[in-house]
Order: sequence, then C-alpha cells, then structure tokens
Amino acid sequence: MIVCVAVVGHNNNPLYLQSFIDDDNTLKFHYIVHCSLDVIEEKVSNSKRAGVNLNETFLGLLYPTEDYKVYGYMSNTKIKFVLVTTDQDSRDADVRNFFRRLHAAYVDAASNPFHVPGKKITSAVFAERVGNIVKSFGAPAPA
Amino acid sequence: MRASLRPSDPAVSPAIERVNAELFTLTYGAIVRQLLTDYEEIEEVNKQLDTMGYNIGARLIDDFLAKANITKCTDFRETADVIAKVGFKMFLNVTATVANWSADSMECSLILEDNPLVDFVELPETCQGLSYCNILCGVLRGALEMVSMRTEVKFVKDMLRGDDVFEIRMKLLEQMPEEYPYKNDE
Repeated sequence: MIVCVAVVGHNNNPLYLQSFIDDDNTLKFHYIVHCSLDVIEEKVSNSKRAGVNLNETFLGLLYPTEDYKVYGYMSNTKIKFVLVTTDQDSRDADVRNFFRRLHAAYVDAASNPFHVPGKKITSAVFAERVGNIVKSFGAPAPA
Repeated sequence: MRASLRPSDPAVSPAIERVNAELFTLTYGAIVRQLLTDYEEIEEVNKQLDTMGYNIGARLIDDFLAKANITKCTDFRETADVIAKVGFKMFLNVTATVANWSADSMECSLILEDNPLVDFVELPETCQGLSYCNILCGVLRGALEMVSMRTEVKFVKDMLRGDDVFEIRMKLLEQMPEEYPYKNDE
C-alpha cells in the first residue's frame, strides 16, 4: 500500500507531499522524503560518473526503512518524485508506471497559468489525480 | 500532445495554417497572468480581455469572411449558427451549440462543451470573479460590429467556476444601417 507521495523541486524545496494513511503523521514522511534526497543526489552523481544512460528518469529503490520502501524518480528538470510504500515486493513495472503517470499529472499541474514554478502545488485537480493514481497502483493497466 | 488546433474540415479552406494547441493555450494563460499582475483588479482584467478581444475580432472578421466560403446572413439566427458551426470550428476547432433563443430572436446562447483555452487552468481562490475566457466575448462583439451588428456578449456559465458547460449569452442590440463615408455629390 502506498503511504506517501511527494514532489520535490529542483532546489530540493518541497512542492507537494501527501500521506495516505490515517494517523496523519506527515512530519515523519517529510523526514523520510528529506533523507531520500541525499540518496537521489548520490545515485544521480554516481550514474553520471559511470556514464550510464543519463536520460533514465527512474531511480529505483532508494532505501528501505523498517516499515517502508522508498522509490525515487527524477525528471530532466530535476523535479524529484518520491514514493513511500509498505509493500515489500512491488513490481518494478508497476512503480515505473506509477511514476510515469505522476509525472504526467505534474506536467499538467505545472501548465496551469496560475501555478508559480517553484511554489507549492495547491491544485485540487492535481490532488485528486494523485489520489486516483495511488488507488490504481498495482492494478492492471486500464485498457 | 494533442493534435493541432485547426480542423481538417473540407468546408474550411485547406490553406489555413495551424498552431499547436498547447502553445496556444499556454500563451493565452501567460497573457491573462500578465494582465492580472498589471491591473491587479479582477474587474479591470475582465474589461481589458474584452477590449483585447474586440480589437482581435475587428480584424479577424475579414480573415474569417475571406476564408470561410459563406454567403451573407439574412438574419441574426443564421449569424449565430455560422459563428457556432463555422467560426468556432475555424479558430478554436470546437463547435458550439446555439440554444435558448429569446422570443423576439434577439438573444441567444452559444454553448461550448469543450474549450481549448482552459486546458490545465484552475482558478485560484483569489481570482473567483475572473472571467478567464472573456476575450471570446470581445472577439464576437468586435467581429459582429464590423458587419454592422451591435451586440452585447457575456459569459453566463463558466466551467472554471463550476458550471457544467461554457455558455456565452449574445444579445443583438441593433442592426446598424450601412453608412457610406461620403455623400453622393462629393
């Protein structure tokens, strides 16, 4: 089950963070996401040094904690997407697909002329879309 | 990416150039944003959009008449139909429905279910009074004035404010007689 989704801007400023469990401990997720940024940075600079495919946006599993697994994705504009889940064995394809849809939702939200780049995403439509993407996570892709 | 904006309708001349829909939408969004920053007051922005639209419409009508292959309209009903079916199709690639005629055929509604101007757009709390697409009203008013119809055009339903469609109310105020700029004996 997905417990938290976060979008982080290119200066590592939080753009959007939503938790999907009831105990409403968003601070904990802020902390987890914050930690994951270091891992993202490391992964990116490592892959740059190794000269592997720079266009790869999916960063894979960033790190496991006791309860959660954290996945990352970074767009070419250095917008980071972080996914925190309790599933111990998510399929790679599912996670990739999730991030692709999240990225698309973000692009549409960023295209809103009333959205200021680098500021928090306040759009209700975006929140709803993220909710739907989270709900359909792991389900077979719609035909 | 969506397909380009202009139609491939045989009724419309194939020589019409097309523009990418997103470029168009984002450009319009940028204009509205800039107006909001410049004028600060929502009412003033609505007025400016209308004026800009008027200036566009006054020029666009010639382009429209040159390319649309239509004949002179006999009454306001026909005019409304042409706007809805040919005009909107030609410039926005959507078709409007003409509805809600008043008893004296002087007033009608153009109903748009889809509007490329508002893709991506969500009005923030602070801009609830903004008529985001007000430029369309201006365009219609300007264009009709150039073919000697003085009209009053305004939005009565707006999807950005939670309505289910866009409804533009168009009211014919008067048919201006065609005047020649010179007298016969000059």
